[in-house]
Amino acid sequence: MVKQAFIHSIKVDEAKCIGCVACMKVCPTKAIRVRNGKAHINFERCIDCGGCLRVCPHNAIIPLTTSPSDLNRFKYKIALPSPVIYTQFGEKVMPNEILTALQDIGFDHVYDEALVCEMISVAIEEYLDENKSPRPIISSTCPVVVRLIQRLFPSLCKNILPLEPPREIAAKNLRTEVARDKNLAPEDIGIIDITPCSAKMVSISRPETMERSHLDGAISIREIYNEVMMKLKSNAPMIMMQTQARISGIGIGWAFEGGEIRGLKYGNSVSVSGVLDTIRILEDVESGKLKNIEYLECLICPDGCIGGPLTVENRFIAKSNVLRLIRHFGGKKRVNTELVRTLYKDNFFSFKWAVEPKSLPPLDKDRKVAIKKLKLKEQIISTLPGTNCGICGAPDCQTLAEDIVLGAAKLEDCIYLDRKKQVSKSNGDKNETN
Amino acid sequence: MKMQPEALLKQEYKIRGGDFVNAGESSCRIRNTLREIGIDSDIIRRIAIAAYEAEMNVVMYAHHGTMQVDVYPDKILLIVDDRGPGIENIQKAMQPGFSTATEEMREMGFGAGMGLPNIKKNADDFKIASHVGKGTKLEIIILLDEKNG
Repeated sequence: MVKQAFIHSIKVDEAKCIGCVACMKVCPTKAIRVRNGKAHINFERCIDCGGCLRVCPHNAIIPLTTSPSDLNRFKYKIALPSPVIYTQFGEKVMPNEILTALQDIGFDHVYDEALVCEMISVAIEEYLDENKSPRPIISSTCPVVVRLIQRLFPSLCKNILPLEPPREIAAKNLRTEVARDKNLAPEDIGIIDITPCSAKMVSISRPETMERSHLDGAISIREIYNEVMMKLKSNAPMIMMQTQARISGIGIGWAFEGGEIRGLKYGNSVSVSGVLDTIRILEDVESGKLKNIEYLECLICPDGCIGGPLTVENRFIAKSNVLRLIRHFGGKKRVNTELVRTLYKDNFFSFKWAVEPKSLPPLDKDRKVAIKKLKLKEQIISTLPGTNCGICGAPDCQTLAEDIVLGAAKLEDCIYLDRKKQVSKSNGDKNETN
Repeated sequence: MKMQPEALLKQEYKIRGGDFVNAGESSCRIRNTLREIGIDSDIIRRIAIAAYEAEMNVVMYAHHGTMQVDVYPDKILLIVDDRGPGIENIQKAMQPGFSTATEEMREMGFGAGMGLPNIKKNADDFKIASHVGKGTKLEIIILLDEKNG
């Protein structure tokens, strides 16, 4: 396990933050306030989507990942790269070259997660076959979507697919296999996710559906990019054709939106990406509008994991690369379906426990007080300008009103209201002199 | 007769018939309000479904209407009142699968004939009154138990 148990996987670098409102404006859960010229994240609301990190013009939002020195604790280090990595180094570089280069920068072993993605595709079908309600079943792959549902759509927790995502299953399997084959103690093996995702660290240090993650840490694609690039340039052409043959086209497809549903026999499945569209579709699910849909894949980053905040390649090029790889490796199933079924029956993929709702707190625990505060909030909103300028330090007028009734802000924080008062006061003065 | 205690909170939203673009907004706002006052998420879900179905009925069939939500200490009352064609045969309309939706509505994924039955399924008490040529009024009650109170 990582030494430091992160509660969240992003932090504000106060030395770099100039207190602009860029991050506060994009936060989907309104977790950011600017106070005394610095952005502050309310971690009770934060879902680690990385939206703030993406837009900060000053690089003041720092993703927390495993430091390379932390890796030295392990006798045997395994890199478990997200299939997104195959899209990052241009159109001529093949997956095997990337895996080899990754190993060369300091890992004892690398493992292609794409194969496990394909296994999970089979397991999803098994689950849908066996469980006919509720509908839709919502993918559990994106750790941010799981956290979004817990906070904003708590009643949909029971719609979340109760199977661990590929990265966890791959790590679970690897630890057992490698410990046996190399005669190592399981804790001497460090399994590190190589990831485009800003939320991975928190899903590893604070998993929602088991005591402890099967992964030991996460390093961003950005961090290893340069080193891998250098190795790719110096390495001789690949000769590991045997592994190449096992690369899964279906699995690689998980790198972008639609990967989970493309191979599914249930045609009535939908994929959605991006934070706003995800929120919109979950609202529809909560209204009971989409009960005819079997499976709903939601990914918080635009276009899915290739749009992750910790990637290097722009996501449109990455998408073109992944499409080419899918064509190259084909949509042929490469996993042993019977084996997956057996593992599924043994609950090898299952959550230890279900995702629990973590609703955002009401305005007050006492219903009557909460209603009073709600009425006061509506009253305050009607006096605010409604321009959502953000100068008060809250993302919009409505949130400022909420902060005021919760005692976290003052009406005077709104500079326009103050000006309006001054204007009417000076008008009053004039009237008096007249 | 038992006196009805006064509602702790009353909110009203207008719904416009044929306005598919903004359809669902009122039920969405009700949901947010109930969240802010700490109503249990499963109760909110039931209200959200009932409110959405009722709102869609107004959008699809009526000229205009209102949706009122009253929060009492022990229950939530949802009243949806519209001016519209009314329902000729309520018994029929309550049957799952029965619908008078047009082809266009069905193409948009509406009119599966589950609206009223779905509302009833999610409500603890449900009343419907309709006058042909005038409009329809729904009263939906969802109880708040001790745990969620």
